[in-house]
Amino acid sequence: MADRDPGMSAAPATGGYVGRAVRTLEGRAPIAGAARYSSDFSFPGQLHAAIVRSPHARARILKVDLSGARKVAGVVLAMDGREVAAHLGPIPHYIDPATFGGKSAEVRTMAVDHVWCYGQPVAVVVAADRRTARWAASRVQVAYEVEPAVLTVEDAIAPDAPKVVPGFDDNVIMAVPFRNGDPDAAFARADHVVTTTVRIHRFSTQPIETRCYNAVWEEETESLTLYGTAQNPHPLRHVLAKVLGMPEGRIRVHAPAIGGAFGMKMHGHPEESLVCLLAKLLRRPVKWVESREECLLIGAREQVHHLELALSKEGDLLALRDRFFANTGAPSACPGWGMAFLTGLTMPGPYRVRDIDVTMTALVTNKPSWNAARGYGKEATALALELALDEAARRLGFDPAELRIRNFVPADAFPYASPTGLQYDSGDYAGAVRKAMAAIGWDEWRARQAEGPREGRYLGLGIAYELTPEGGALPGTMVAGYDSSTVRVAPDGSVRVLTGVTTPGTGNPTGIAQIVADELGCPIEWISVVQGDTTTCPYGFGNYSGRSTIVGGGSAALAARAVRAQMEAVAAAMLGVGVQALRLSDGVFDGGDGRSLAFADVAWAAYTRAYDVASCITPPLEAQATFRPPNIRHSPDAEGRINPYPSYSNAAYATVVEVDSATGQVKLLAFAAAHDCGRVINPLLVEGQACGAIAFGLGGALMEEIRFDAGGHQLTRSFMDYVMPRAEDMPGVTLVHHDSPNPDTYMGLKGAGEAGVGGSAAAVVNAVNDALRPFGVAIHDLPLSPARVWAAIHGRSGAAGGAA
Amino acid sequence: MSLYPSFARPRTLADAATLLASLASGGVVIAGGQELMPSINQGVLAPEVYVDIGGLAELRGITETPEGRVGIGALTVHRELQTDPRVRAQLPLLAHAATRAGGGRQVHNRGTIGGNLVAQHPLYDIAPPLLALEAEVEWVKGRETVRQPLAAMLADSRHGLGSEAILTRVLVVPMADGLGWAYEKLKASGGAYGSANAAALVKLKEGRVAAVRLVVGAVADRLIDASEAAAALLVGRRFDAEAGAALAGAVSALVAAPLSDAQGPGPWRQAMAGVVAQRALAAAVARAGRG
Amino acid sequence: MDDLAQSVLVQWRVNGVLHELDVLPGLSLLDVLREQLNLTGTHMGCMTGHCGACTVMIDGRIAKSCIAQAATLPRAEIRTIEGLMGPDGRLSPVQQAFWDEAGFQCGYCAPGMLFSAIELLAETPDPTDAEIDSALAGSLCRCTGYQSLRRAVRAAARALKDPNPD
Repeated sequence: MADRDPGMSAAPATGGYVGRAVRTLEGRAPIAGAARYSSDFSFPGQLHAAIVRSPHARARILKVDLSGARKVAGVVLAMDGREVAAHLGPIPHYIDPATFGGKSAEVRTMAVDHVWCYGQPVAVVVAADRRTARWAASRVQVAYEVEPAVLTVEDAIAPDAPKVVPGFDDNVIMAVPFRNGDPDAAFARADHVVTTTVRIHRFSTQPIETRCYNAVWEEETESLTLYGTAQNPHPLRHVLAKVLGMPEGRIRVHAPAIGGAFGMKMHGHPEESLVCLLAKLLRRPVKWVESREECLLIGAREQVHHLELALSKEGDLLALRDRFFANTGAPSACPGWGMAFLTGLTMPGPYRVRDIDVTMTALVTNKPSWNAARGYGKEATALALELALDEAARRLGFDPAELRIRNFVPADAFPYASPTGLQYDSGDYAGAVRKAMAAIGWDEWRARQAEGPREGRYLGLGIAYELTPEGGALPGTMVAGYDSSTVRVAPDGSVRVLTGVTTPGTGNPTGIAQIVADELGCPIEWISVVQGDTTTCPYGFGNYSGRSTIVGGGSAALAARAVRAQMEAVAAAMLGVGVQALRLSDGVFDGGDGRSLAFADVAWAAYTRAYDVASCITPPLEAQATFRPPNIRHSPDAEGRINPYPSYSNAAYATVVEVDSATGQVKLLAFAAAHDCGRVINPLLVEGQACGAIAFGLGGALMEEIRFDAGGHQLTRSFMDYVMPRAEDMPGVTLVHHDSPNPDTYMGLKGAGEAGVGGSAAAVVNAVNDALRPFGVAIHDLPLSPARVWAAIHGRSGAAGGAA
Repeated sequence: MSLYPSFARPRTLADAATLLASLASGGVVIAGGQELMPSINQGVLAPEVYVDIGGLAELRGITETPEGRVGIGALTVHRELQTDPRVRAQLPLLAHAATRAGGGRQVHNRGTIGGNLVAQHPLYDIAPPLLALEAEVEWVKGRETVRQPLAAMLADSRHGLGSEAILTRVLVVPMADGLGWAYEKLKASGGAYGSANAAALVKLKEGRVAAVRLVVGAVADRLIDASEAAAALLVGRRFDAEAGAALAGAVSALVAAPLSDAQGPGPWRQAMAGVVAQRALAAAVARAGRG
Repeated sequence: MDDLAQSVLVQWRVNGVLHELDVLPGLSLLDVLREQLNLTGTHMGCMTGHCGACTVMIDGRIAKSCIAQAATLPRAEIRTIEGLMGPDGRLSPVQQAFWDEAGFQCGYCAPGMLFSAIELLAETPDPTDAEIDSALAGSLCRCTGYQSLRRAVRAAARALKDPNPD
């Protein structure tokens, strides 16, 4: 464990940007139509790639005939998977299952001889323009021998199941037990055992900007620059170097503005290295822009949980058992499969039960692969636990809020060691639940509910809790817990901050600028934040796991403090006073004796008077610093457990729904959240994160679904079929803060990026099930489409619809 | 199928009809593009020739015909249906249904009534009210001008996209004073396409149903004209809960082969056909009673 | 009788500047704006007319440029997001309200949201929340959960009614 820096949790003495709804140029650019996204870049000689994809879930490739494509005017290259494999090595896994005792499949850029999912790349065509490339791609003829596909969890675990990965002895990539205490004894002495099966469907983050990669080959230096939608430019550079067989030093990854990512733009995608290869072979820039149909191939979240809760008659949760299976689709180098691991690791969430018996089984199937999705499996923990707890409350007659409050880790128990080895930093879960219920007017809604349904519309109230470990670090992977920033003050006093973290469009550069402005005691307008370029930025790990403000802001603060110390030394020398006498605010050094110096004058002196007033420092005014949260622990404890997270943001969600019994439609009438993300840097940005995550949860609970037919062909191929929340679907959210600062991070930050997906979805499901109580039914299969709710009400379980 | 299609923008309807007739099957009519372009962008369609009818003055405008019909030019966009004073006053059912069409303001500003009808898409919102209103359509093919009931056009799939005919005008008898009307659309969420919809017209006499028109859409691959079934059940009766339940059952029974797609599975769609029919009738009766 | 053309000459005034362009049949207005005029502020999100990121104004009415075929617009007055700022480089009142209220995060959906708000407020200066939701129905935002967008439209309405609050 690294040492804790007692100064880290303190707020800076001067300034006052932190905590305010500050706006910066970063937030202005898209409004002016001035933000440049990856697909906005084009270069002289630009070529365009189009990819031929498998229409089958599982098949042998008998023949790929590229001649039709090569006949199209404007086509400069057409290749099949076999040819590509001659140039490119396997794609290194972002998180290799083998590192954690699982099985590692070799993932190639394109299918060679055998296809393992619908949509897998089979051939690629490069042409002078995108339309020609797509047209030519449609002229490629591929002969397949179709084989039976493995689509569901049940298919995958069947004893005679075909093997998705040739050479594997089953379809399990990793199975992990999370066991603590003596769950069998606890179940034996329990007064009640409540079993619940929760089915979470396949849904996806679907940022409005699809992926795009544009590779530029520079012959002069035999180097590559990849412009693209990359959340993690430096780690992606490492992957490209491995796949292409080039040194990292001759590859630059530049991630410009990103139009939403939510995990989908973490790397491992085949198109990243493919586009680089094409540019290298052709000595010309090659660009690929993902179509929405292609983007919809990327799945996530599909899990089946078989839960058992052991309870005393008073309502104490004595033990938890959960056998769960994740349908992670075909093998991929992307980090999606790891979501299933996190689902298990985050058990039993905010609850203090010690006797647990949880088994995670991550399966490969012939559906397209997952990638990371906001929540990263922690949303599934919340869904499974919160639906099961409500089921217990219903069956045993407990009040759902009281049942939770009774079983939470109490506020005075932090830091708290969870039964899976996590170290929860801080929290007041009961307080947050009470706040959320007060915010929504829980008792008034209950009274209205008691008046009975109106015209067949039934009110339902739901609460749920979500614990969201943030800022994760997995040993032996590029999921790092630390990150670095550089702060530079130029001779004119302007400030440039370069960070290893990146933004997918969440606004963290504004938050980081606020932090640096306060640390440097200068106006925020003087600060510009640069991110996402491996040539200019310090080595860093980019954006994931709600980390960007925790470690990006923390490291920028440390770097700013070092630069400030340089400037204070120069200013003190200029004024002939002690450093302790100086006060710095609003860009002015006050000597305490009536004299003052402008920030820019001190900067100028630091650069130009290195042999007198600035001889006390080492120029330039620049510092790089790393923030490594001290409470991450990778050395295993006696039970072999690690604590990969520094921060445990959490939130309570409360909602009221109205269910139309004639149609099954669910209408959200009210929504409230009590949110603990630690210290709030910018309330506008935190609200945006929280409400955005809630929209993900509501969409997942009610409408978003990727469907397949029985043969494994994807049915959901456009936004006509993949329906996401629109403005009219979102209730106003009453967001209240219930912050308990993290003692181990800069200013107590916990991360605000992910919390909300699972908690809000669970609150909605619980509210619908509350509304369905008069019918004696409850639904634990997501999404709660009107058809499914209607079928439950009318006892038509076979009519709910459903797909593989 | 062509990578390099050609394009024509005829100046007159006659020119357009002649051109289309000469192109046999290769020509595709385009105006607002809202129906056609998604398929082109996705590579589902790659026409040889586009015939842009957006410049044809003959297809514009909302007028009163000599025989007292409302004549709606095929290029009339949803936005005009929503706001035109004549449509709002004389065909409020149509004006309202146009507000329920998907795609938002952007699509309402460009999507035409002609494009909506020739698409023959079972989930769309303009055909059900027009069928309830017993609209007629006028179309031109070569030198021939044809006027026929919308019902006949909808029964004949050859008038969909890609045919050589040009829909020119929709003709509708103004709704009588005191006629109750409603358009009920059920969708799974704000951005979803309709799962079931119903357009209803009802005439009351002393609180009892004297005449009824009822069309149900989005539940089968064709619209269902449930007017006869509704009339058999309702004429001469008050529309109470019992009548509503009977109507719902009868309408659901008319859905022989329900759609089963992203908008919902078949058994539910079949049941919802009855629900929207009942709700549309109830709303239409309430409106007639107020009038 | 018109000849069949392999390309179509169009005359557009785009953000006040007159352009004569040859466009290929079949291409969307979005493609031509981005690729021939380098106006990349208009975004591709779905190419099926569902997301609204490609919204522009054609002859004074907002439209999704991905499903408007360029060749069908022989003469048009087109405004893109780049044309919303004043000639002095200042944000328009609607843009300023969206900036102040953090109406966006990633900003990719900005064309749809801004143009929808502009058209709504031109017709309905004092919209209800339901009217705001309905006006935004043609556009998807994946970041904000719409809460800050609604607030931004309300702020824009106030700003348009009282252009000089100082």
